[in-house]
Amino acid sequence: MNQAGKFLSAAVTIFVLSLSLLFAQDSPPQQTTGKLSGIVTDPSGKVVAEANVSIKNLATGETRAAQTDPSGVYQVAGLPAGEYEVSASMGGLGASPARVRVSPGAQQTLNLSLTSGPAPTENLPNAPSTTKTEPSLEDLGFSRTETQANAAQQALLDKRTRMLKIHQRMGLITTIPMIVSVVTSLNAGGKSEGTASRDLHVALGALTGDLYGITAYYAIRAPRIPGAKKRGPIKVHEALAWIHGPGMILTPILGAMAFNQKNNGQKVHGIAAAHGPVAIVTAGAFGAALLSVSVKF
Amino acid sequence: MIKKILLLFPLLALPNLFAADHQWILKESTLTYHVSHPLHQTDGSSHAARGKGICHQGQCEFLIAVPVKTFDSGDSNRDLHMIQVTRGAEFPMVTVRTRLPEADSTASSIKADLEIQFAGQSASYKQVALEVKTEGTDKRISGIIPATLSDFKIEPPSLLTMPVKNEIPIRVEMTWSPQ
Repeated sequence: MNQAGKFLSAAVTIFVLSLSLLFAQDSPPQQTTGKLSGIVTDPSGKVVAEANVSIKNLATGETRAAQTDPSGVYQVAGLPAGEYEVSASMGGLGASPARVRVSPGAQQTLNLSLTSGPAPTENLPNAPSTTKTEPSLEDLGFSRTETQANAAQQALLDKRTRMLKIHQRMGLITTIPMIVSVVTSLNAGGKSEGTASRDLHVALGALTGDLYGITAYYAIRAPRIPGAKKRGPIKVHEALAWIHGPGMILTPILGAMAFNQKNNGQKVHGIAAAHGPVAIVTAGAFGAALLSVSVKF
Repeated sequence: MIKKILLLFPLLALPNLFAADHQWILKESTLTYHVSHPLHQTDGSSHAARGKGICHQGQCEFLIAVPVKTFDSGDSNRDLHMIQVTRGAEFPMVTVRTRLPEADSTASSIKADLEIQFAGQSASYKQVALEVKTEGTDKRISGIIPATLSDFKIEPPSLLTMPVKNEIPIRVEMTWSPQ
């Protein structure tokens, strides 16, 4: 590779690293919200499962609901910073509203103790009915796992979505140098004797490979959700990765061999001649993978 | 003596006029949301809703609840994203409450005020038109709830940098049986 080509490749590498840093900074969410958790107990001090907890933002009036788990613990994440009024109830017991301040990026703890007396159920969604004229969620027979909040799983889903969004963006960006690399391949090999087109093709190929690697990283590292079975177009999308993945490894290897042969004044021959077809199949599989999750067939 | 008995008889019968509490159970249902995107039109359905109605003194209170994760659009990746964006792990249930006069059970169409809790938010929908068909003793109710993402403070998902439409109408088809 001549000096111009080396410089171009170095510049491309620096650009790609900068891009990955940009997305790396973009991936963690800004800490504008906080978490609140605590334990709800009854008058005897025992923990209360399935207690209804109401968390009201005093500035906006917005109310969030939660339920305690078998350990009497409630957890609420993603609360905008501010003052909150928290109350709890279970059956005929209730806890007087307590105030707490939620700070960005912080975990606040507020334990509540239920006392006997009128339960403040009017503002609590899905509270057990205190009268016979109103059905409650318990009447419908849903299991505890179906109605209980799972903050840990929500956090896992949030991380998965963040990473797959980056994967999607990087995949779209990768198509640009990939397409241009295929176009420049027309003047890079064959009977062409000039080196400028070949160097450009090499640089674009390197850029495509780097961007592809970042794209693949975010897809591979995105959390899997336990119990979720794959259905629909995502199965096609993932199956095509078994074509363009190995292709993106083989293409530059064959390309390097072809490049050396051309530099030595030889015609591209042997296994190096497969560089073009392998690259076309790889690009085709990549494009099909993108279309499989973008367009409804 | 006979006159006294005859006078007493209506008084004895009075409590029975008001002892007319009865219940409705949701026998089967299909709830379907619709999401519009320039490249995709998506429907996700759930058949897992449960409901109960309690009628007392001429008024019926209904509660319908369905787990968020039971909605199936045919694409597991899209369904997981839907659960994430609607905070379905933190707020696993969608609940709908409404109160209707008992007399509405004989009408062919009704208008209901619905209170819906979803994604940790509450939203009210006034005068939602519902069709009622009688099938034996069962009542088949159908209609469309004009829900939007902004009603529940849900950030519109996007595909290829284009967001989906704010409107997510929900088609409901329910069969209620008297208990």
